[in-house]
Amino acid sequence: MLENAGSRLKAWTVAGVGTAAAVAVAGVLGAFEARHESLPALAPTSRIETGEWLLRPLKAYVTAEKYAYGTLLKPGGKALVLELEMTNRTAKSTKDYFDVLQASRKIVDPATKPFIALTRDSTMSPELHPGMPERMAYIWQLPDGATAPASFDLTVIRKTYKARDNLYGLPGWFNPTPIGTMTIPVGAGPDSADIQP
Amino acid sequence: MTAEALDQDNRAGERKWRRRSLWSLMLLVPLALAVEAYDSVKTLLGNNDLFPRRVAWGKSEHFGGSDWKLTDLRGAFGMSNLPPDSVPVLADFQVKIGNPDLQNLWLGCKITLIDKDGRRWSPTSIVSLKTTDNVQTCISAIFSGAKSGDTLNLRETFLVPKEATKSIRPAVGVASERPHFLLFQLEKD
Amino acid sequence: MIRRSANIILLLVVVAFCYGLQVSKPHYGDLIGPIPARGKLGDTVVGRAFEVHAEKVEFARNLKVDQFGQGKVLTTGGVWAVVTVEFAARAQSTVISVASWRGPTGLTYDQTERLSFMNGLLPVAIDPGLPRKARLIFELRPDEANNATLLVSEKLVAALDSQAEISLGPVPIAADGLPVGTIEMLDMAQPM
Repeated sequence: MLENAGSRLKAWTVAGVGTAAAVAVAGVLGAFEARHESLPALAPTSRIETGEWLLRPLKAYVTAEKYAYGTLLKPGGKALVLELEMTNRTAKSTKDYFDVLQASRKIVDPATKPFIALTRDSTMSPELHPGMPERMAYIWQLPDGATAPASFDLTVIRKTYKARDNLYGLPGWFNPTPIGTMTIPVGAGPDSADIQP
Repeated sequence: MTAEALDQDNRAGERKWRRRSLWSLMLLVPLALAVEAYDSVKTLLGNNDLFPRRVAWGKSEHFGGSDWKLTDLRGAFGMSNLPPDSVPVLADFQVKIGNPDLQNLWLGCKITLIDKDGRRWSPTSIVSLKTTDNVQTCISAIFSGAKSGDTLNLRETFLVPKEATKSIRPAVGVASERPHFLLFQLEKD
Repeated sequence: MIRRSANIILLLVVVAFCYGLQVSKPHYGDLIGPIPARGKLGDTVVGRAFEVHAEKVEFARNLKVDQFGQGKVLTTGGVWAVVTVEFAARAQSTVISVASWRGPTGLTYDQTERLSFMNGLLPVAIDPGLPRKARLIFELRPDEANNATLLVSEKLVAALDSQAEISLGPVPIAADGLPVGTIEMLDMAQPM
């Protein structure tokens, strides 16, 4: 046994060096660091790029009317309406705007999905066409008995473009990740002024 | 045996087996293609009406668990708002239910008109003519809850060009009988 | 010696050949893509199960439509393009459901969803021997109107089936950025 000890030791050392190198590279690439939690704050009076969309928030208000841009709301309830200008930055008409904005859980029930309407003629969730900015309204039904907030937080979510996806090899937008949050002041009503021109 | 003789024997044996293997390829390659294509062929036969079963005028034929008879094929003239040179055609059938499991046997029920050139017309939604209560389409008959021994009256409405009215014949296909389908003949055939 | 170098050369040739095969292999999306049937405005483009003939293209700033008995004007941030086409089925009754406008830079505009209540729009059911007219309505950027292609097919994913590609030809652009001949209001109630 002892006569092989020298070559055995060499074999163990070589194997160990390889493993140590792999662990070191992983550490350098960040496998062992704590995940960063905080998202950058976005200015609501700026243009926000999410890959597929270019967003320009315009105004937010609470309405207690029966209809908001053609959407029938719950009788006696209130709804939070956010109007913003959206431009499709992709090369094809799309309606992939249902996950772009998430309202904060403090104001809106997380299970509530917003109604999204084109303000020009109150069409519900139409496809938006490449390079054409359109004013859209996101309408969240507020929980019963909620008061109108002075401002509310939104998380903006982006998707990444893959020229060939893993299943069909066709282009698409995948992997939604949040890119930031913004706080939008809530105006008095539908006639409040736009926060940016 | 000398080494040379053994060598020659082996070589002869190898040659024989090589020849046999190459000949067996002629059997194995088509067999492999058949095994690979089996599912596709089954789907092809199950989705297309390929083999007609002619039904003489006035006779009924057992199909999809029930007996089908063509009672009338006529054009509806004098309607307005139709495309130029088109005629609405009504095909009436009388079906005596045998097996009442229509939701399985009549699944994929497709009634078409076929002309002499093989063109097929499906029922139209452009024209809707008022019908009496006991006349229904094939799809609504599937869910009508008919029992064994009942007689159903089915009617489908088509829009065909005037020049095709001479040679069109009604055809009925159901998924349980595909690739066979019924092709009804008219009195003059 | 010759044997060895010949073997090495053969190996390199085979490696180069295999690499060429791998690099030039069409991707799955191209292999299952639609089969184009090409033509120009005014031609009858023949696909497998349908034929389409694009008659004219009109541009307008606004559309006037009749919704539930009331007149309504549809505005746009770009320009409306209305293509009048005639469809014919070949051997079987079928339905044409999809049409898109592909501009010269490759941007693809789907049909507008803002007129879902109107007649004469897709999806259109066609029967053999009975040609039928329809209007394809798009909302586009004015700079995508020139040298555009109209893509028409029966189904949304026209895999291995015909897709008509109709070149709509050059459209001169006027000084205001809109195509020449853009009218202020196009009345959709007028016959096609």
